[in-house]
Amino acid sequence: MSKDDITKIEVGDGAAIPSPDDKGLVSAWWVALIGTVGMLIALPVLKPDPYLTILKFVPDGIVVTFEVTILAIVFAIIIGLLTGLGRLSSNRFINMIASLYVEVVRGIPLLVQLFYIYFALGRIVRVPDIVAAVIAMAFCYGAYMGEVFRAGISSIDHGQTEASLSLGFDKKQTMAYVVLPQAWRTILPPVGNEFIALLKDTSLVSILAVADILRRGREYAAESFNYFETYTIIALIYLLITLLLSKLISAMEYRLSHYERR
Amino acid sequence: MNVVEPIIQIQNINKYFGAFHALKNVSLDIAPGDKIVVLGPSGSGKSTLLRTINKLETIDSGTIIVDGHDLTDPEEDINAIRMELGMVFQSFNLFRHLSVLDNLTLAPVKLKKMEKSQANDIALRLLDKVGLRDRAGHYPIQLSGGQQQRVAIARALAMEPKIMLFDEPTSALDPEMIGEVLDVMVTLAKEGMTMVVVTHEMGFAREVADQVVFMDQGAIVEQASPDVFFDNPQHQRSKLFLQQIL
Ligand SMILES: Nc1ncnc2c1ncn2[C@@H]1O[C@H](COP(=O)(O)OP(=O)(O)OP(=O)(O)O)[C@@H](O)[C@H]1O
Ligand SMILES: [Mg+2]
Repeated sequence: MSKDDITKIEVGDGAAIPSPDDKGLVSAWWVALIGTVGMLIALPVLKPDPYLTILKFVPDGIVVTFEVTILAIVFAIIIGLLTGLGRLSSNRFINMIASLYVEVVRGIPLLVQLFYIYFALGRIVRVPDIVAAVIAMAFCYGAYMGEVFRAGISSIDHGQTEASLSLGFDKKQTMAYVVLPQAWRTILPPVGNEFIALLKDTSLVSILAVADILRRGREYAAESFNYFETYTIIALIYLLITLLLSKLISAMEYRLSHYERR
Repeated sequence: MNVVEPIIQIQNINKYFGAFHALKNVSLDIAPGDKIVVLGPSGSGKSTLLRTINKLETIDSGTIIVDGHDLTDPEEDINAIRMELGMVFQSFNLFRHLSVLDNLTLAPVKLKKMEKSQANDIALRLLDKVGLRDRAGHYPIQLSGGQQQRVAIARALAMEPKIMLFDEPTSALDPEMIGEVLDVMVTLAKEGMTMVVVTHEMGFAREVADQVVFMDQGAIVEQASPDVFFDNPQHQRSKLFLQQIL
Protein backbone atom coordinates (compact mmCIF):
# COMPACT_ATOMS: atom_id res chain seq x y z
CA MET A 1 0.00 0.00 0.00
CA SER A 2 1.47 3.30 -1.03
CA LYS A 3 0.98 6.55 0.74
CA ASP A 4 -1.49 7.72 -1.90
CA ASP A 5 -3.98 5.01 -1.07
CA ILE A 6 -4.57 6.44 2.37
CA THR A 7 -7.38 8.91 2.62
CA LYS A 8 -6.12 12.37 3.44
CA ILE A 9 -8.40 14.80 5.17
CA GLU A 10 -7.64 18.43 4.63
CA VAL A 11 -9.17 20.52 7.37
CA GLY A 12 -8.12 23.67 9.16
CA ASP A 13 -5.26 26.04 8.62
CA GLY A 14 -2.58 24.73 10.94
CA ALA A 15 1.12 24.73 10.28
CA ALA A 16 2.09 22.26 7.59
CA ILE A 17 2.94 18.92 9.14
CA PRO A 18 5.92 17.49 7.30
CA SER A 19 5.45 13.97 6.04
CA PRO A 20 8.70 11.99 6.06
CA ASP A 21 8.34 11.57 2.28
CA ASP A 22 8.06 15.26 1.58
CA LYS A 23 11.66 16.39 1.26
CA GLY A 24 10.84 20.02 0.40
CA LEU A 25 8.84 20.57 3.57
CA VAL A 26 11.35 18.75 5.73
CA SER A 27 14.24 20.97 4.76
CA ALA A 28 12.09 24.11 5.02
CA TRP A 29 11.31 22.92 8.52
CA TRP A 30 15.00 22.73 9.41
CA VAL A 31 15.73 26.17 7.99
CA ALA A 32 12.83 27.66 9.95
CA LEU A 33 13.84 25.89 13.15
CA ILE A 34 17.50 26.88 12.96
CA GLY A 35 16.55 30.45 12.07
CA THR A 36 14.07 30.71 14.94
CA VAL A 37 16.35 29.20 17.57
CA GLY A 38 19.25 31.26 16.27
CA MET A 39 17.33 34.49 16.60
CA LEU A 40 15.96 33.58 20.03
CA ILE A 41 19.55 33.09 21.19
CA ALA A 42 21.27 35.85 19.22
CA LEU A 43 18.86 38.71 19.98
CA PRO A 44 19.08 38.50 23.82
CA VAL A 45 22.85 37.93 23.67
CA LEU A 46 23.53 40.82 21.30
CA LYS A 47 20.98 43.19 22.78
CA PRO A 48 20.03 42.08 26.31
CA ASP A 49 18.05 45.27 26.75
CA PRO A 50 15.21 44.81 25.94
CA TYR A 51 15.28 41.28 24.45
CA LEU A 52 16.51 39.45 27.55
CA THR A 53 14.04 41.33 29.71
CA ILE A 54 11.23 40.37 27.38
CA LEU A 55 12.35 36.75 27.40
CA LYS A 56 12.20 36.74 31.18
CA PHE A 57 8.77 38.36 31.27
CA VAL A 58 6.90 36.26 28.76
CA PRO A 59 7.37 32.59 29.86
CA ASP A 60 4.56 32.75 32.46
CA GLY A 61 2.31 33.29 29.48
CA ILE A 62 3.62 30.21 27.69
CA VAL A 63 2.37 28.07 30.55
CA VAL A 64 -1.07 29.67 30.32
CA THR A 65 -1.16 29.29 26.55
CA PHE A 66 -0.40 25.58 26.92
CA GLU A 67 -2.97 25.17 29.69
CA VAL A 68 -5.69 26.68 27.55
CA THR A 69 -4.58 24.77 24.45
CA ILE A 70 -4.35 21.36 26.07
CA LEU A 71 -7.54 21.63 28.09
CA ALA A 72 -9.41 22.97 25.07
CA ILE A 73 -8.09 20.30 22.72
CA VAL A 74 -8.98 17.50 25.13
CA PHE A 75 -12.55 18.75 25.40
CA ALA A 76 -12.69 19.53 21.69
CA ILE A 77 -11.66 15.94 20.91
CA ILE A 78 -14.35 14.54 23.20
CA ILE A 79 -16.96 16.89 21.74
CA GLY A 80 -15.63 16.16 18.27
CA LEU A 81 -15.88 12.41 18.71
CA LEU A 82 -19.46 12.69 19.94
CA THR A 83 -20.31 15.14 17.17
CA GLY A 84 -18.72 12.95 14.50
CA LEU A 85 -20.60 9.89 15.77
CA GLY A 86 -23.76 12.00 15.95
CA ARG A 87 -23.34 13.13 12.36
CA LEU A 88 -23.05 9.48 11.31
CA SER A 89 -25.89 8.30 13.52
CA SER A 90 -28.96 6.78 11.93
CA ASN A 91 -31.00 8.42 14.69
CA ARG A 92 -32.47 11.45 12.93
CA PHE A 93 -32.74 13.55 16.07
CA ILE A 94 -29.14 13.01 17.20
CA ASN A 95 -27.97 13.57 13.66
CA MET A 96 -29.90 16.81 13.47
CA ILE A 97 -28.50 18.15 16.76
CA ALA A 98 -24.93 17.35 15.74
CA SER A 99 -25.35 18.91 12.31
CA LEU A 100 -26.97 22.02 13.75
CA TYR A 101 -24.10 22.48 16.17
CA VAL A 102 -21.55 22.21 13.37
CA GLU A 103 -23.43 24.63 11.14
CA VAL A 104 -23.84 27.24 13.86
CA VAL A 105 -20.23 27.12 15.01
CA ARG A 106 -18.83 27.20 11.52
CA GLY A 107 -20.89 30.23 10.63
CA ILE A 108 -19.64 32.49 13.43
CA PRO A 109 -16.11 33.87 13.72
CA LEU A 110 -14.14 32.45 16.62
CA LEU A 111 -13.54 35.88 18.13
CA VAL A 112 -17.27 36.59 18.19
CA GLN A 113 -17.93 33.18 19.74
CA LEU A 114 -15.31 33.86 22.37
CA PHE A 115 -16.92 37.13 23.37
CA TYR A 116 -20.37 35.63 23.20
CA ILE A 117 -19.67 32.59 25.35
CA TYR A 118 -17.61 34.65 27.76
CA PHE A 119 -20.35 37.18 28.37
CA ALA A 120 -23.20 34.69 28.12
CA LEU A 121 -21.53 32.51 30.72
CA GLY A 122 -20.87 35.57 32.83
CA ARG A 123 -24.59 36.23 33.06
CA ILE A 124 -25.27 32.77 34.50
CA VAL A 125 -22.26 31.84 36.62
CA ARG A 126 -19.06 33.48 37.63
CA VAL A 127 -16.27 31.36 36.27
CA PRO A 128 -12.59 32.22 36.11
CA ASP A 129 -11.55 33.83 32.81
CA ILE A 130 -9.42 30.89 31.87
CA VAL A 131 -12.34 28.47 32.28
CA ALA A 132 -14.53 30.60 30.05
CA ALA A 133 -11.74 30.72 27.50
CA VAL A 134 -11.33 26.95 27.52
CA ILE A 135 -15.07 26.39 27.16
CA ALA A 136 -15.30 28.80 24.25
CA MET A 137 -12.30 27.33 22.44
CA ALA A 138 -13.50 23.76 23.01
CA PHE A 139 -17.00 24.63 21.82
CA CYS A 140 -15.67 26.09 18.61
CA TYR A 141 -13.00 23.54 17.89
CA GLY A 142 -15.30 20.66 18.84
CA ALA A 143 -17.30 21.40 15.71
CA TYR A 144 -14.25 21.34 13.45
CA MET A 145 -13.06 18.22 15.22
CA GLY A 146 -16.47 16.67 14.64
CA GLU A 147 -15.96 16.99 10.90
CA VAL A 148 -12.51 15.46 11.21
CA PHE A 149 -13.90 12.48 13.13
CA ARG A 150 -16.81 12.09 10.76
CA ALA A 151 -14.52 12.02 7.75
CA GLY A 152 -12.04 9.71 9.49
CA ILE A 153 -14.67 7.23 10.58
CA SER A 154 -16.39 7.14 7.20
CA SER A 155 -13.05 6.58 5.48
CA ILE A 156 -12.87 3.10 7.03
CA ASP A 157 -14.07 0.43 4.61
CA HIS A 158 -17.52 -0.88 5.51
CA GLY A 159 -16.19 -4.43 5.12
CA GLN A 160 -14.35 -3.93 8.42
CA THR A 161 -17.63 -3.19 10.16
CA GLU A 162 -19.36 -6.16 8.53
CA ALA A 163 -16.56 -8.52 9.52
CA SER A 164 -16.79 -7.30 13.09
CA LEU A 165 -20.58 -7.57 13.24
CA SER A 166 -20.45 -11.05 11.73
CA LEU A 167 -18.21 -12.19 14.59
CA GLY A 168 -20.84 -11.09 17.09
CA PHE A 169 -19.64 -7.63 18.08
CA ASP A 170 -22.37 -5.04 18.49
CA LYS A 171 -22.17 -1.62 16.88
CA LYS A 172 -20.48 0.08 19.83
CA GLN A 173 -17.86 -2.65 20.20
CA THR A 174 -17.26 -2.51 16.47
CA MET A 175 -16.65 1.23 16.72
CA ALA A 176 -14.34 0.82 19.72
CA TYR A 177 -12.30 -2.22 18.67
CA VAL A 178 -12.29 -2.03 14.89
CA VAL A 179 -13.27 1.31 13.36
CA LEU A 180 -11.83 3.93 15.70
CA PRO A 181 -8.40 2.31 16.09
CA GLN A 182 -8.08 2.46 12.31
CA ALA A 183 -9.72 5.84 11.95
CA TRP A 184 -7.05 7.32 14.24
CA ARG A 185 -4.60 6.79 11.45
CA THR A 186 -6.56 9.15 9.19
CA ILE A 187 -7.72 11.40 11.98
CA LEU A 188 -4.39 12.15 13.62
CA PRO A 189 -2.89 14.47 10.98
CA PRO A 190 -5.91 16.79 10.81
CA VAL A 191 -6.27 16.62 14.61
CA GLY A 192 -2.64 17.67 14.77
CA ASN A 193 -3.39 20.53 12.41
CA GLU A 194 -6.32 21.56 14.58
CA PHE A 195 -4.13 21.38 17.66
CA ILE A 196 -1.61 23.77 16.14
CA ALA A 197 -4.33 26.05 14.81
CA LEU A 198 -5.94 26.06 18.25
CA LEU A 199 -2.66 26.90 19.91
CA LYS A 200 -2.31 29.92 17.64
CA ASP A 201 -5.95 30.88 18.12
CA THR A 202 -5.51 30.91 21.89
CA SER A 203 -3.82 34.27 21.30
CA LEU A 204 -7.39 35.56 20.92
CA VAL A 205 -8.13 34.81 24.57
CA SER A 206 -5.67 37.49 25.59
CA ILE A 207 -8.60 39.81 24.95
CA LEU A 208 -10.51 38.10 27.76
CA ALA A 209 -7.93 39.03 30.40
CA VAL A 210 -6.29 35.61 30.27
CA ALA A 211 -2.57 36.07 30.78
CA ASP A 212 -1.29 34.04 27.84
CA ILE A 213 1.88 34.72 25.85
CA LEU A 214 0.35 37.56 23.89
CA ARG A 215 -1.24 39.18 26.91
CA ARG A 216 2.02 39.05 28.84
CA GLY A 217 3.79 40.58 25.86
CA ARG A 218 1.22 43.36 25.54
CA GLU A 219 1.51 44.13 29.25
CA TYR A 220 5.26 44.42 28.91
CA ALA A 221 5.08 46.49 25.74
CA ALA A 222 2.54 48.84 27.28
CA GLU A 223 4.88 49.80 30.08
CA SER A 224 8.17 49.72 28.19
CA PHE A 225 6.96 50.94 24.77
CA ASN A 226 9.18 48.29 23.13
CA TYR A 227 6.35 47.14 20.86
CA PHE A 228 8.47 46.02 17.94
CA GLU A 229 10.95 44.01 20.03
CA THR A 230 8.19 42.43 22.12
CA TYR A 231 6.16 41.25 19.15
CA THR A 232 9.31 39.94 17.49
CA ILE A 233 9.98 37.71 20.48
CA ILE A 234 6.33 36.65 20.73
CA ALA A 235 6.22 35.73 17.06
CA LEU A 236 9.43 33.71 17.41
CA ILE A 237 8.10 31.86 20.46
CA TYR A 238 4.87 30.92 18.66
CA LEU A 239 6.87 29.83 15.64
CA LEU A 240 9.23 27.69 17.73
CA ILE A 241 6.33 25.99 19.50
CA THR A 242 4.40 25.23 16.32
CA LEU A 243 7.51 23.98 14.53
CA LEU A 244 8.28 21.55 17.35
CA LEU A 245 4.67 20.43 17.57
CA SER A 246 4.38 19.77 13.87
CA LYS A 247 7.47 17.57 14.07
CA LEU A 248 6.09 15.71 17.07
CA ILE A 249 2.81 15.08 15.31
CA SER A 250 4.45 13.82 12.18
CA ALA A 251 6.49 11.39 14.29
CA MET A 252 3.32 10.15 16.00
CA GLU A 253 1.64 9.79 12.66
CA TYR A 254 4.51 7.68 11.42
CA ARG A 255 4.32 5.43 14.46
CA LEU A 256 0.57 4.99 14.13
CA SER A 257 0.91 3.88 10.53
CA HIS A 258 3.06 0.86 11.40
CA TYR A 259 0.47 -1.62 10.13
CA GLU A 260 0.31 0.11 6.76
CA ARG A 261 3.94 -0.72 6.05
CA ARG A 262 4.92 -3.97 4.45
CA MET B 1 -32.52 -38.87 3.85
CA ASN B 2 -32.94 -39.14 7.57
CA VAL B 3 -35.19 -36.69 9.28
CA VAL B 4 -33.18 -34.22 11.31
CA GLU B 5 -34.27 -30.83 12.50
CA PRO B 6 -32.77 -28.27 10.07
CA ILE B 7 -30.18 -25.97 11.63
CA ILE B 8 -31.22 -23.22 9.22
CA GLN B 9 -34.81 -22.81 8.15
CA ILE B 10 -35.55 -20.13 5.60
CA GLN B 11 -39.25 -19.81 4.96
CA ASN B 12 -40.81 -17.70 2.26
CA ILE B 13 -38.56 -14.72 2.68
CA ASN B 14 -38.83 -11.55 0.65
CA LYS B 15 -36.35 -8.74 0.51
CA TYR B 16 -36.64 -5.36 -1.18
CA PHE B 17 -34.00 -2.73 -1.83
CA GLY B 18 -36.37 0.18 -2.25
CA ALA B 19 -38.65 -0.86 -5.07
CA PHE B 20 -36.28 -3.60 -6.24
CA HIS B 21 -37.43 -7.10 -5.29
CA ALA B 22 -34.13 -8.79 -4.44
CA LEU B 23 -35.36 -12.02 -2.84
CA LYS B 24 -38.63 -13.55 -3.98
CA ASN B 25 -40.35 -16.10 -1.74
CA VAL B 26 -37.13 -17.92 -1.01
CA SER B 27 -37.34 -21.04 1.14
CA LEU B 28 -34.46 -23.32 2.06
CA ASP B 29 -33.84 -25.88 4.80
CA ILE B 30 -30.30 -26.76 5.75
CA ALA B 31 -29.55 -29.74 7.95
CA PRO B 32 -26.62 -29.82 10.37
CA GLY B 33 -23.49 -30.84 8.52
CA ASP B 34 -24.96 -29.96 5.13
CA LYS B 35 -22.83 -28.25 2.53
CA ILE B 36 -24.96 -26.02 0.35
CA VAL B 37 -23.42 -24.35 -2.68
CA VAL B 38 -25.33 -21.40 -4.07
CA LEU B 39 -24.87 -20.72 -7.76
CA GLY B 40 -26.37 -18.14 -10.07
CA PRO B 41 -25.65 -15.24 -12.37
CA SER B 42 -24.44 -11.89 -11.08
CA GLY B 43 -27.18 -9.93 -9.37
CA SER B 44 -29.36 -12.99 -8.79
CA GLY B 45 -29.44 -12.41 -5.03
CA LYS B 46 -26.88 -14.98 -3.83
CA SER B 47 -25.04 -12.60 -1.52
CA THR B 48 -28.26 -11.08 -0.31
CA LEU B 49 -29.62 -14.51 0.62
CA LEU B 50 -26.40 -15.47 2.40
CA ARG B 51 -26.33 -12.18 4.29
CA THR B 52 -29.89 -12.59 5.54
CA ILE B 53 -28.76 -15.71 7.41
CA ASN B 54 -26.63 -13.66 9.82
CA LYS B 55 -28.86 -10.61 9.49
CA LEU B 56 -26.34 -8.40 7.74
CA GLU B 57 -29.43 -7.88 5.59
CA THR B 58 -32.86 -7.71 7.19
CA ILE B 59 -35.84 -9.26 5.46
CA ASP B 60 -39.22 -7.72 4.72
CA SER B 61 -41.33 -10.85 5.16
CA GLY B 62 -40.97 -14.53 5.93
CA THR B 63 -38.94 -16.14 8.71
CA ILE B 64 -35.42 -17.37 9.20
CA ILE B 65 -34.68 -19.71 12.08
CA VAL B 66 -31.04 -20.40 12.88
CA ASP B 67 -30.34 -23.12 15.41
CA GLY B 68 -33.72 -22.54 17.02
CA HIS B 69 -33.45 -18.73 17.07
CA ASP B 70 -35.97 -16.74 15.06
CA LEU B 71 -34.05 -13.88 13.42
CA THR B 72 -37.22 -11.87 12.95
CA ASP B 73 -37.94 -11.94 16.68
CA PRO B 74 -36.76 -8.62 18.11
CA GLU B 75 -36.28 -10.30 21.49
CA GLU B 76 -33.53 -12.51 20.12
CA ASP B 77 -29.96 -11.32 20.67
CA ILE B 78 -28.57 -11.16 17.16
CA ASN B 79 -25.01 -10.81 18.44
CA ALA B 80 -25.25 -14.11 20.30
CA ILE B 81 -26.65 -15.79 17.17
CA ARG B 82 -23.87 -14.32 15.02
CA MET B 83 -21.30 -15.95 17.29
CA GLU B 84 -22.54 -19.30 15.97
CA LEU B 85 -22.26 -18.14 12.35
CA GLY B 86 -18.82 -17.64 10.87
CA MET B 87 -18.67 -15.51 7.75
CA VAL B 88 -16.00 -15.25 5.07
CA PHE B 89 -16.12 -12.35 2.62
CA GLN B 90 -14.95 -11.96 -0.94
CA SER B 91 -12.71 -9.08 0.14
CA PHE B 92 -11.29 -10.90 3.25
CA ASN B 93 -11.93 -7.91 5.53
CA LEU B 94 -9.18 -8.77 7.96
CA PHE B 95 -8.76 -6.13 10.64
CA ARG B 96 -5.96 -4.10 9.15
CA HIS B 97 -4.70 -2.65 12.41
CA LEU B 98 -4.24 -6.03 14.08
CA SER B 99 -1.65 -8.74 13.60
CA VAL B 100 -2.79 -12.07 12.22
CA LEU B 101 -2.80 -13.53 15.74
CA ASP B 102 -4.80 -10.62 17.14
CA ASN B 103 -7.29 -10.90 14.28
CA LEU B 104 -8.00 -14.41 15.55
CA THR B 105 -8.06 -13.63 19.26
CA LEU B 106 -10.01 -10.34 19.31
CA ALA B 107 -13.49 -11.85 19.28
CA PRO B 108 -12.81 -14.82 21.62
CA VAL B 109 -11.15 -12.52 24.16
CA LYS B 110 -13.68 -9.71 24.02
CA LEU B 111 -16.87 -11.68 23.42
CA LYS B 112 -16.24 -15.00 25.14
CA LYS B 113 -14.05 -13.46 27.86
CA MET B 114 -11.42 -16.04 27.07
CA GLU B 115 -7.98 -15.78 28.64
CA LYS B 116 -5.54 -14.28 26.16
CA SER B 117 -3.18 -17.25 26.56
CA GLN B 118 -5.93 -19.74 25.82
CA ALA B 119 -7.11 -17.67 22.84
CA ASN B 120 -3.53 -17.59 21.57
CA ASP B 121 -3.28 -21.38 21.81
CA ILE B 122 -6.48 -21.84 19.86
CA ALA B 123 -5.44 -19.22 17.31
CA LEU B 124 -2.06 -20.84 16.73
CA ARG B 125 -3.70 -24.23 16.28
CA LEU B 126 -6.05 -22.75 13.69
CA LEU B 127 -3.19 -21.00 11.93
CA ASP B 128 -1.45 -24.36 11.80
CA LYS B 129 -4.54 -25.79 10.22
CA VAL B 130 -4.59 -23.18 7.46
CA GLY B 131 -0.81 -23.43 7.09
CA LEU B 132 0.06 -19.95 8.33
CA ARG B 133 1.42 -20.40 11.81
CA ASP B 134 4.64 -18.67 10.79
CA ARG B 135 2.67 -15.55 9.85
CA ALA B 136 1.10 -15.02 13.28
CA GLY B 137 3.00 -11.78 13.86
CA HIS B 138 2.41 -10.30 10.42
CA TYR B 139 -0.10 -7.60 9.54
CA PRO B 140 -2.75 -8.41 6.92
CA ILE B 141 -1.19 -6.05 4.38
CA GLN B 142 1.97 -8.16 4.48
CA LEU B 143 0.12 -11.26 3.26
CA SER B 144 -0.97 -12.37 -0.19
CA GLY B 145 -4.69 -12.54 -0.99
CA GLY B 146 -4.80 -16.30 -0.57
CA GLN B 147 -3.05 -16.04 2.78
CA GLN B 148 -5.39 -13.29 3.92
CA GLN B 149 -8.41 -15.37 3.03
CA ARG B 150 -7.06 -18.37 4.92
CA VAL B 151 -6.53 -16.14 7.95
CA ALA B 152 -10.08 -14.84 7.53
CA ILE B 153 -11.38 -18.41 7.62
CA ALA B 154 -9.31 -19.10 10.74
CA ARG B 155 -10.61 -15.91 12.34
CA ALA B 156 -14.19 -17.07 11.83
CA LEU B 157 -13.35 -20.56 13.14
CA ALA B 158 -11.79 -19.10 16.29
CA MET B 159 -15.32 -18.39 17.54
CA GLU B 160 -16.11 -22.09 17.09
CA PRO B 161 -19.19 -21.43 14.97
CA LYS B 162 -21.72 -24.13 14.12
CA ILE B 163 -22.21 -22.80 10.62
CA MET B 164 -19.86 -21.16 8.13
CA LEU B 165 -21.07 -18.76 5.44
CA PHE B 166 -18.82 -18.05 2.46
CA ASP B 167 -19.53 -15.27 -0.03
CA GLU B 168 -17.40 -15.88 -3.12
CA PRO B 169 -14.28 -16.53 -1.03
CA THR B 170 -12.03 -17.03 -4.05
CA SER B 171 -13.40 -14.45 -6.48
CA ALA B 172 -10.92 -11.74 -5.51
CA LEU B 173 -7.92 -14.05 -5.74
CA ASP B 174 -5.31 -14.56 -8.42
CA PRO B 175 -5.88 -17.97 -10.04
CA GLU B 176 -2.81 -19.53 -8.48
CA MET B 177 -4.10 -18.79 -4.98
CA ILE B 178 -7.59 -20.20 -5.38
CA GLY B 179 -6.47 -23.77 -4.68
CA GLU B 180 -4.96 -23.06 -1.28
CA VAL B 181 -8.22 -21.49 -0.07
CA LEU B 182 -10.43 -24.21 -1.53
CA ASP B 183 -8.22 -26.84 0.14
CA VAL B 184 -8.93 -25.31 3.52
CA MET B 185 -12.64 -25.29 2.75
CA VAL B 186 -12.62 -28.91 1.64
CA THR B 187 -10.88 -29.90 4.87
CA LEU B 188 -13.49 -28.01 6.83
CA ALA B 189 -16.26 -29.75 4.91
CA LYS B 190 -14.75 -33.17 5.62
CA GLU B 191 -14.72 -32.36 9.33
CA GLY B 192 -18.49 -32.02 9.18
CA MET B 193 -18.94 -28.24 9.30
CA THR B 194 -22.30 -26.94 8.12
CA MET B 195 -21.44 -24.70 5.17
CA VAL B 196 -23.30 -22.34 2.88
CA VAL B 197 -21.04 -21.32 0.04
CA VAL B 198 -21.65 -18.82 -2.74
CA THR B 199 -19.06 -19.55 -5.39
CA HIS B 200 -18.33 -19.84 -9.07
CA GLU B 201 -15.95 -22.77 -8.48
CA MET B 202 -17.83 -25.60 -10.14
CA GLY B 203 -15.20 -28.18 -9.20
CA PHE B 204 -15.65 -27.33 -5.56
CA ALA B 205 -19.44 -27.51 -5.90
CA ARG B 206 -19.25 -30.97 -7.46
CA GLU B 207 -16.78 -32.28 -4.92
CA VAL B 208 -18.20 -30.85 -1.73
CA ALA B 209 -21.85 -29.89 -2.10
CA ASP B 210 -24.66 -32.01 -0.74
CA GLN B 211 -27.07 -29.71 -2.49
CA VAL B 212 -26.66 -27.10 -5.18
CA VAL B 213 -29.03 -24.17 -5.04
CA PHE B 214 -29.39 -22.28 -8.30
CA MET B 215 -30.75 -18.74 -8.09
CA ASP B 216 -31.91 -16.38 -10.77
CA GLN B 217 -33.56 -12.98 -10.45
CA GLY B 218 -34.01 -13.26 -6.69
CA ALA B 219 -35.63 -16.70 -6.67
CA ILE B 220 -34.42 -20.25 -6.17
CA VAL B 221 -34.93 -21.86 -9.57
CA GLU B 222 -33.52 -25.29 -8.88
CA GLN B 223 -32.23 -27.21 -5.92
CA ALA B 224 -30.59 -30.56 -6.56
CA SER B 225 -27.64 -32.78 -5.78
CA PRO B 226 -24.55 -31.71 -7.73
CA ASP B 227 -24.70 -34.82 -9.93
CA VAL B 228 -28.22 -34.05 -11.03
CA PHE B 229 -27.66 -30.32 -11.33
CA PHE B 230 -24.51 -30.48 -13.42
CA ASP B 231 -25.29 -33.53 -15.55
CA ASN B 232 -29.02 -33.31 -15.87
CA PRO B 233 -30.36 -29.85 -14.97
CA GLN B 234 -34.13 -29.71 -14.91
CA HIS B 235 -34.75 -26.08 -15.71
CA GLN B 236 -34.11 -24.11 -18.83
CA ARG B 237 -32.40 -21.29 -16.92
CA SER B 238 -30.10 -23.74 -15.15
CA LYS B 239 -29.10 -25.21 -18.50
CA LEU B 240 -28.45 -21.77 -19.93
CA PHE B 241 -26.36 -20.80 -16.92
CA LEU B 242 -24.28 -23.98 -17.11
CA GLN B 243 -23.73 -23.52 -20.84
CA GLN B 244 -22.44 -20.01 -20.24
CA ILE B 245 -19.95 -20.87 -17.53
CA LEU B 246 -18.67 -24.28 -18.60
N1 LIG C 1 -27.56 -2.43 -0.55
C1 LIG C 1 -28.21 -2.54 -1.73
N2 LIG C 1 -28.97 -1.53 -2.19
C2 LIG C 1 -29.63 -1.64 -3.36
N3 LIG C 1 -29.59 -2.71 -4.16
C3 LIG C 1 -28.83 -3.75 -3.77
C4 LIG C 1 -28.10 -3.71 -2.54
N4 LIG C 1 -27.44 -4.88 -2.41
C5 LIG C 1 -27.74 -5.61 -3.50
N5 LIG C 1 -28.58 -4.94 -4.32
C6 LIG C 1 -29.13 -5.43 -5.57
O1 LIG C 1 -29.75 -6.67 -5.34
C7 LIG C 1 -29.48 -7.57 -6.38
C8 LIG C 1 -28.87 -8.82 -5.84
O2 LIG C 1 -27.59 -8.51 -5.31
P1 LIG C 1 -26.62 -9.62 -4.76
O3 LIG C 1 -25.41 -8.91 -4.29
O4 LIG C 1 -27.33 -10.46 -3.79
O5 LIG C 1 -26.30 -10.45 -6.08
P2 LIG C 1 -25.29 -11.65 -6.26
O6 LIG C 1 -26.08 -12.79 -6.76
O7 LIG C 1 -24.51 -11.86 -5.02
O8 LIG C 1 -24.36 -11.11 -7.43
P3 LIG C 1 -22.78 -11.22 -7.62
O9 LIG C 1 -22.52 -12.56 -8.25
O10 LIG C 1 -22.49 -10.12 -8.57
O11 LIG C 1 -22.15 -11.05 -6.30
C9 LIG C 1 -28.57 -6.85 -7.36
O12 LIG C 1 -29.36 -6.39 -8.44
C10 LIG C 1 -28.04 -5.69 -6.57
O13 LIG C 1 -27.82 -4.58 -7.41
MG1 LIG D 1 -22.50 -11.50 -4.48
